[in-house]
Amino acid sequence: MSFSVNVPPPLERSTVLRLAFMAALSVLLLGALLARLWFLQVLAGDRFAELADSNRLRTVVSQAPRGHILASDGRELVINRPALALSADRQLLVNAAGLPRDAQAERTVRRLSALLDLDEQTLLRRIADVRYSPFRPVPVAIDVAPDIVLTVRQNQELFVGISAETIPVREYPEGDLAAHLVGYLGQISREELGETRYVDYRGGDLIGRGGLEQSYETELRGRGGQEVFVVNRRGSVIDVQSRRDPQPGLDLVTWLDLDIQRAVEQALAEGIVASRSIVRPDGRSLPSTAGSAVVMDTRTGGIIAMASYPSYDPTEFVGGVSSDYWAFVNDPAQGQPLNNRPISGQYPPGSVYKIVSGAAMLEAGLVTPTTRVACPGSYTVADVTFRNWNPNNEGPMDLATALKRSCDTYFYDLAFRQWQVEQRQDTPDEIVQRVSREFGLGALLGIDLPGERAGVVPGREWREEFWLRYRDGYCERAARAEPGSFGQELLLDLCRFGGIWRGGDAVNMSIGQGDLLVTPLQMASAYQAIANEGVLLRPTVGRELRDADGAVVRTIEPEVLSVLDLTPAELRSIQRGLERVVMEPGGTGVGAFSGFPLAQIPVAGKTGTAERKPLVPYAWFTAYAPADDPRYVVAVSVEEGGGGSQTAAPIARRILEHLFDVRPPDAPGFVPGPAIFD
Amino acid sequence: MSFVGIGPGRSGSGTARGRVARLLDLLAPLRGVDPLVVASSLALSGVGLVAIYSSKLATLTAQGLPTTSFLSRQLIAGVIGLVLMVAATVFDYRRLRAFIPFGYLATLLLLVLVLTPLGTSVRGSQRWIALFGFQVQPSELMKIALLLALAMLFNETEGTPGLGRTATAVGLAVVPLGLVFAQPDLGTSMVYLWLTGVVLLVSGVRVRYLLMLAASGAATFFLGLRTELIRDYQLQRLTVFLGADAPDADFAGALFQTRQSMIAIGSGGTYGRGLFEGTQTALAYVPDNHTDFIFTVVGEELGFVGAATVLALYGVLLWRALAIASQAVDRDAMIIAAGVAGILLMQVFVNVGMTLGIMPVTGLPLPFLSYGGTSLIIWLGMTGLLLNVNQRRR
Repeated sequence: MSFSVNVPPPLERSTVLRLAFMAALSVLLLGALLARLWFLQVLAGDRFAELADSNRLRTVVSQAPRGHILASDGRELVINRPALALSADRQLLVNAAGLPRDAQAERTVRRLSALLDLDEQTLLRRIADVRYSPFRPVPVAIDVAPDIVLTVRQNQELFVGISAETIPVREYPEGDLAAHLVGYLGQISREELGETRYVDYRGGDLIGRGGLEQSYETELRGRGGQEVFVVNRRGSVIDVQSRRDPQPGLDLVTWLDLDIQRAVEQALAEGIVASRSIVRPDGRSLPSTAGSAVVMDTRTGGIIAMASYPSYDPTEFVGGVSSDYWAFVNDPAQGQPLNNRPISGQYPPGSVYKIVSGAAMLEAGLVTPTTRVACPGSYTVADVTFRNWNPNNEGPMDLATALKRSCDTYFYDLAFRQWQVEQRQDTPDEIVQRVSREFGLGALLGIDLPGERAGVVPGREWREEFWLRYRDGYCERAARAEPGSFGQELLLDLCRFGGIWRGGDAVNMSIGQGDLLVTPLQMASAYQAIANEGVLLRPTVGRELRDADGAVVRTIEPEVLSVLDLTPAELRSIQRGLERVVMEPGGTGVGAFSGFPLAQIPVAGKTGTAERKPLVPYAWFTAYAPADDPRYVVAVSVEEGGGGSQTAAPIARRILEHLFDVRPPDAPGFVPGPAIFD
Repeated sequence: MSFVGIGPGRSGSGTARGRVARLLDLLAPLRGVDPLVVASSLALSGVGLVAIYSSKLATLTAQGLPTTSFLSRQLIAGVIGLVLMVAATVFDYRRLRAFIPFGYLATLLLLVLVLTPLGTSVRGSQRWIALFGFQVQPSELMKIALLLALAMLFNETEGTPGLGRTATAVGLAVVPLGLVFAQPDLGTSMVYLWLTGVVLLVSGVRVRYLLMLAASGAATFFLGLRTELIRDYQLQRLTVFLGADAPDADFAGALFQTRQSMIAIGSGGTYGRGLFEGTQTALAYVPDNHTDFIFTVVGEELGFVGAATVLALYGVLLWRALAIASQAVDRDAMIIAAGVAGILLMQVFVNVGMTLGIMPVTGLPLPFLSYGGTSLIIWLGMTGLLLNVNQRRR
């Protein structure tokens, strides 16, 4: 051995202790690492595995272009246009509380706020909008000026988490034309996202609100594309895991004629505004608060034009409606312009209903087309006197003449007699109610627009249910009313016998009054049935659906809702009556059509003035033309518009002039018709 | 210091018996080789090679480069390391004593040279220098040089080292510490500090001196803060780790790294995703996952079972190193073994702790595993020192 072997000195005790300390420290530190490792991998491993996947996979959703809405001739009513938008990556910018997640995010938001001239709170609210999917950039500004987009792109390091993109937005080449029919787009709500029918939707998706956008949502929407990428740390795409191309929505071709639609909107608006200068007998002028107009194809039920006054501007809804505009369109003082009155306004029809009650009397066999019934100035039933609009006795007349003259007492007498017949029956066959339903009243017609109302066709059953619901109220009020007064008598009567369908109810209903309520569309459809040989068709706005290549995918066929139980002679007598209203001297619509080329375009129609006390009467005019070969139905109603002949008929006349292109170039805008309050 | 042991030993005789004896003499060291030390250090190096290969597999494939580019460089270092290990084992540490001062001074010179334009800067840190065609990291060499120098210093001491000896030791450490700190490499300077502390502890320096040193160390640290000697980012890395908001993107980066590291390791679960199957590894989600963050590859692909096994291997090495220290015949042998254990413990804890999110991000490599030739060579060399010390135990 090279080295001499010494007996080594024993290690000092302190050295042993110090080495033991080192050993203890080693056990402690390695133990800490092991414990942490156990926590990360075994206890929290699943959660980290999920994080690893969300790290790795990026889902990019591409919107399918929404289908266009076209007029029947293919003209564009609603299309898409690309809009520059700035979008924010929510995960990078805000925390769960909706506040900037770090100093850098705060600076980004401040810069963007200054750039967009939008206050920081609003901006943060948009970024944190929970209706958007967190995995997709949230558009915070749409229709951004190109120089702003350029600024963001050139200084991306100052705007971390903000990206510029082009997104399709709705464009309305015709402006607010047919606003009520088109509807608008809004973001899907949190509640809707929970519904099963919206299972395909994600937060932030746009959804049709109102109009065709809503009723054809499924078809117009198409299906969004989705690509799942595998990305590395720097966000570079390594691989595509799955891909689904977007499927564009279908284009909806409607029955609408944009020129007619424009003329109808204009005629309605101008007519309503002009009628406000008509002074009534009591010295006040007509309120004419709102109105509707419907133009329908008699042979298909297709809606060629439909207008509601007042209207709104759907472009205000592109990219999110402002709270000011939202308040404006919901303000009752503005007439609630979002209301689509032709389908959601429910009014007493007044005399335009007489085609229905007339048909009922024919069906009941009380009269034939040639039966003549007296037309006195008033009609008294059980001490109650019901007046004709014309106080003079017009003598006996047939149904066609009764329609021409809009004779109330003719219908009073028949209605009361029918009521008496039904009172004797064990189970009354309520023929007026049944025929009303055959005409499409009292139920939804099923037009392809949201918000349609059914109206009310009252009868014995309806009366009783109504009474049972409100009886307690009548009785209470009767008890509190001044004893012996007329009011108390009436309330006591309602309290005790209000559930009875009386003769007076039947009499009132026969001229479209009482509890009867209809929508303007229902009235248009009723006249469509008369004009179409008794066949009632479902009204539709949509005509066919086409794919992006223009191929027709689905045709919306006319659908028969009912066939009136009238003989040709009976039907003809009603048609004849309507023709005489407009075209024969003494007809209630003659005045409004003076100067109209009736020889060329014969017109059949009916005036109506519906009482709705204490309001000013509602004006109605419903017509179809050409009378000998009907193509169009026109229905006009004006809330508190006075006499139908006075306000509604001139509007309908102007619409007809446009429909048949017979409007003289020098024609005055609106000429009030004679004041006949039928 | 005594230089008595320098030079060849007693001349051998010319007889056949003498030749055999000389041969046996040469083989003598192998008799004392601790199989656990050899096995665990080689196993760790092997895990390192596989993990490095895996960490670069996807990236290199994507770039169309040979997938073994990193692996082969590390393999070369491993071979050099093995040679050094055998040499360090065979060459009696007592004969090393004479070279220690020169080794220390030479390494110190290299550390100075690194800071000159001769050094190579990577990511703002001047750490490498070209030596015989290799990029060498002198700060790694200094770990051995400082350990040996301190061991030699205290070997001369009889009884409890006094204040003067302690001060000399601190002096030996402070010079390289300052040079490394200037690179800047806070992590490695902390290793020197820790190593010195461990050496002072085991060599019997009075506890009160140790406490005084700790106090003055803390004072220096605060002085460093006041004079901005400690750079902002170094401080901020610590504050970020302690939960403060990241002041800018650079530190968001450090947070990102820790977060990604935890995700990678955590997603490994109990059994791991399988070798070469790690998605986070393949997609390079964890920056530096072949060097400082190599443990994430082990954690993700081999799971808790694999990662715990690696920790266990370090545990075995630590146990053997401290056992060898306790059986050493000389004080310097004891100090060397304990010092190796000390550096190993610190680097493993700081590095693995960093990947597990319980220690701040500092640039310390994981012994045996991290990519980096110098580090692997040094660690195999230190293993050799352990074995060497183990030959001559009681």
